[in-house]
Amino acid sequence: MIDTNKVWTLSLSVFLACIAFLWLPSVAFASEPVRVWFSHIEAENETLRAIAREFTSETGIPVEIISRRSVFDAPADLVNNAELSDRPDVIFMQAPDIGGLVASGYLLPLKIGQDLRGRFAEVAFTAFSYQGNVYGIGYSVDTSGLVYNKALIAPSDLPKTWEDFFETACALTKTNAEKKVIQYGARLNPKDMWFNYPIIREYGGYYYGTLPNGSYNAYDIGLDCQSMLGYVERMKCAMNENLTISNPNHTESHISHDFACGKVAMILYGLWNAQIYQNMGVDYGIAPLPRHRDGSVSRPLSTVQGFVINRFSLQPEAAWAFLNYMSRDENQQRLIESGNRGPQKTGERNPANIAVMSSTYIQSDEILSSLCQIGKQSEPFPNIPEGPIWYNYTPTAFRTIFFGDQKEREVDPEQHLCMLADRIRADVAAMNERADPLLLPDWLWVWVLCAFSGGVGLWLFIRRKRPRSRYRERPSKKETLLAWLLLTPLILLVAFFYLYPIGHNVYLSLTDYSGINLRDYRVVGLTNYRYLFTAQIAGLVSLTLWTIGFAVSVIGLSFLLATLFATLLERIRFSLSRVYRVIFILPWVIPAVITLLMWQGLLETEGGLVNQLLGAFGLPAVPWLSHPIWARVSVVLVMTWFSFPYFMVIVQGLLKTIPQSFYDVARIEGANAYRVFTGITLPWVFRAMLPMLIMGLVMQFNQFGVYLLTQGGPAGDTLGAPGATDLLITYVFNTAFNTKRYALAASYSVIIFLFVGGLALGTMILRKAATRA
Amino acid sequence: MKRKERLRAGVIHFLLILLAIVTLTPFVHIALIAFGENVVGTGVAVPRSFTLRHFSLLLSETHFLRWMLNSFLIAVATVGVAVVLVSISVYALSRLRFYGREHLFRAILLIQVFPLTLAMVSIFRIFAAMGLLNRMAGLIVVNAVLASTGLILVAKGYFDTIPMDIDEAAKIDGASRLTILWKINLPLAKPMMMIVAIQSFVIAYNEYVLSSTVMTQGLDRMPLAVGLQSMIVGQYGTNWSLYCAGAIIGSAPMLIIFYSLQKYFIGGLTEGSVKS
Repeated sequence: MIDTNKVWTLSLSVFLACIAFLWLPSVAFASEPVRVWFSHIEAENETLRAIAREFTSETGIPVEIISRRSVFDAPADLVNNAELSDRPDVIFMQAPDIGGLVASGYLLPLKIGQDLRGRFAEVAFTAFSYQGNVYGIGYSVDTSGLVYNKALIAPSDLPKTWEDFFETACALTKTNAEKKVIQYGARLNPKDMWFNYPIIREYGGYYYGTLPNGSYNAYDIGLDCQSMLGYVERMKCAMNENLTISNPNHTESHISHDFACGKVAMILYGLWNAQIYQNMGVDYGIAPLPRHRDGSVSRPLSTVQGFVINRFSLQPEAAWAFLNYMSRDENQQRLIESGNRGPQKTGERNPANIAVMSSTYIQSDEILSSLCQIGKQSEPFPNIPEGPIWYNYTPTAFRTIFFGDQKEREVDPEQHLCMLADRIRADVAAMNERADPLLLPDWLWVWVLCAFSGGVGLWLFIRRKRPRSRYRERPSKKETLLAWLLLTPLILLVAFFYLYPIGHNVYLSLTDYSGINLRDYRVVGLTNYRYLFTAQIAGLVSLTLWTIGFAVSVIGLSFLLATLFATLLERIRFSLSRVYRVIFILPWVIPAVITLLMWQGLLETEGGLVNQLLGAFGLPAVPWLSHPIWARVSVVLVMTWFSFPYFMVIVQGLLKTIPQSFYDVARIEGANAYRVFTGITLPWVFRAMLPMLIMGLVMQFNQFGVYLLTQGGPAGDTLGAPGATDLLITYVFNTAFNTKRYALAASYSVIIFLFVGGLALGTMILRKAATRA
Repeated sequence: MKRKERLRAGVIHFLLILLAIVTLTPFVHIALIAFGENVVGTGVAVPRSFTLRHFSLLLSETHFLRWMLNSFLIAVATVGVAVVLVSISVYALSRLRFYGREHLFRAILLIQVFPLTLAMVSIFRIFAAMGLLNRMAGLIVVNAVLASTGLILVAKGYFDTIPMDIDEAAKIDGASRLTILWKINLPLAKPMMMIVAIQSFVIAYNEYVLSSTVMTQGLDRMPLAVGLQSMIVGQYGTNWSLYCAGAIIGSAPMLIIFYSLQKYFIGGLTEGSVKS
């Protein structure tokens, strides 16, 4: 009996060790400091730390500066951490992100005094204003302007008005004898809404309209007004004059690349690639945009980054005092200088503080001072939660308007702009919708619970009656106890990290948790499920079919390829096969995020490495990711590329288990290599790998990698309909996340889990039955 | 006959080389961007000149080596936890006959169907409740859970192939369960343990979504994947060359480990998937 005791002791100690490991006490601070979440630039963090030390020695309030990964994570991380014991007090974030946070009550309204207001550009506060309150102080203004090549256009010749801009650009565009453009006066991206926004304004379009009280009216979309047709006409004209990109798949980075090569005189862009222009020997400058027709200033859109205060801060006064301290002119100066990496003057931080703007550090640099000027007059991007909805549709809509639809037919711009505006309005409405709760009466819950437990009980009862002959012996009580004890650590951990999230997700799916209601969400019952089953998901059937087709193709192809190549590797010398194996394994060990991005670049129709290779063999270019059918082919091939190495390694070993006698019989019967492969190898490997294949298939249903590769595109002609490569899961999540309806997303995940899990369970049971028979 | 043989070998090598090219192309692309001078985006043509500048920038301007060390430590610890977890769990699932065995095994498999990446809010809550935020221990535990549940199918398949007769013979000789597990089962399952070890290393070393949610403070405390992502500073401002240079150095330890242990790894995987 000692043996069992030993195992007991062992498993108990493992269990206790696990518990102890999980509940190690966390380190606590002696006195709670003001916590500041700041930058990803360490030099800037160090400067703020020095400022904090001075603040502490003056006031005695300790301050901790925490360096952060990226300003994009700030809103989500704030929501998670806002009420924890080491919650942040002052947070550096982007103004456009504050809408949802304010609506959910995460930010503290600030009382900006006259002195403070006077020392910063107006944009520093307007960007952080929401429904009449100011929630932050701007620090840096990220914006764009007229970037020009001094070798091609002198600063004094820069266009004064937008009309002038197009004329000047036309005059600077040069073609060679074969009518090929060798120099562009300007290069615009007609699909873009951000950089072209000032031109849209020139023609009367606008972003969200404003209410008399100054706050945005999210239902007022400035895209379907008559005057927008003027913009469309102007852009189409510019297209004919070679002032835009000619390939509908190209983006700003292609424009920036052309500029870096010295082929373009003017672009509407920021200074993100300035280092590269410099390296490539382009003498560039940045100037304010041409003025509007009426002589008023064209204001580019900007993202203001600044500091906000956590509403749940335990020491809001101290946080506010420190925020004021760091907003002093001399401290802003130090911060901006270190943010721009001192003498390097990278332009990463564009000051909002007026004293810094007029300092010699900025004024002695032509680029930085010009950028300041532009930033001061920029239009902050709407900070309402509905702000980013536009970008889900504008690229596709403008692409269709300017480059034609899927079949490359021209479309009616007016009709299409109306469709775009309607689509945005529909999403705005969906985001703000407060559906009536669909609560089931309590007795029904009790009833369901009773029926469920009754059913389980009945099932267990029937099972007990069945003979247990398939076990060699009845499981003993002792062994059962021991087994469950040994499995306790795994079960506990699975419960914490799988069961709890699933349960919590089910709970969230019953609430009205959303991007504008992140905190005080309430249970609304089955509302989300009602929506889910009544909302017409466009093309749900074809979406499901494609998802299944995708999963089956990827796993089937991986399996075939893996078996084929494993067999081939058997037939060559071992020393050589080792080298191949080393190469084939690569896709498995390198993070998929990186390789997916690389595939995206490789598969570009123009200039992508794959088409260049095909071209070298005299083959025509293939629209890998831009044609609906080719995109599906590419997606299947790329995902197969990811999953075949793992399969191949397994098949390699399986081949060694095939009894030699099989091959001998085949040889006697005179079967050729192909027959042996299809008749012996494939079936054997398939049978042995079936459980793995099933699991692999199921996992493909949750494949988010596809989204990284194609963003679900190419999009169809109907805005908001699934793109050609959207899978069920990526599509439904996008529709829910675009409008920040997180509870809806949770209910989707529950339904898909049940669907896919049921599918998997069914297959497992069927397989079990088949093997038993 | 000889000619036919040669032709066949030629065809085989042609196919293998073709696949090798397809496999390597993205890595060539990564290298082109990492070593290339003045690369603007990921899709823009072959660079004209090459440089090592991005590698030196990476080492001087970022916490790159620290990130690599963090990831390495997390991965090694994950391997330890996962190996223990998998071996005791699989021992129970494969060697002991008990009530609910089949259902439990199925449940563990099925529960993985749920896409955890979508439940980050819930994961964060559980981390906060356990006091695991911003601590390596949290990442180690959760990575170990992900790895063990993912590997339990392969591991059980392998354990099932070790004949029960050996256990029974040992039992008759008076060996305790612990002795059998420690002295007989585990040594026989060594190749399987190697897979568990290496696969959990890969999972932990590359993990991104979870780590980025629960590691919110301090650039120098980030694991590699999260640190690298901090170079993607926006739609337009990303320095792809730096990012790719990071990916190249970052994957080096994994490749070294993989290649040096390849023998055990491949031997283990293969037999694990064979069902009796």
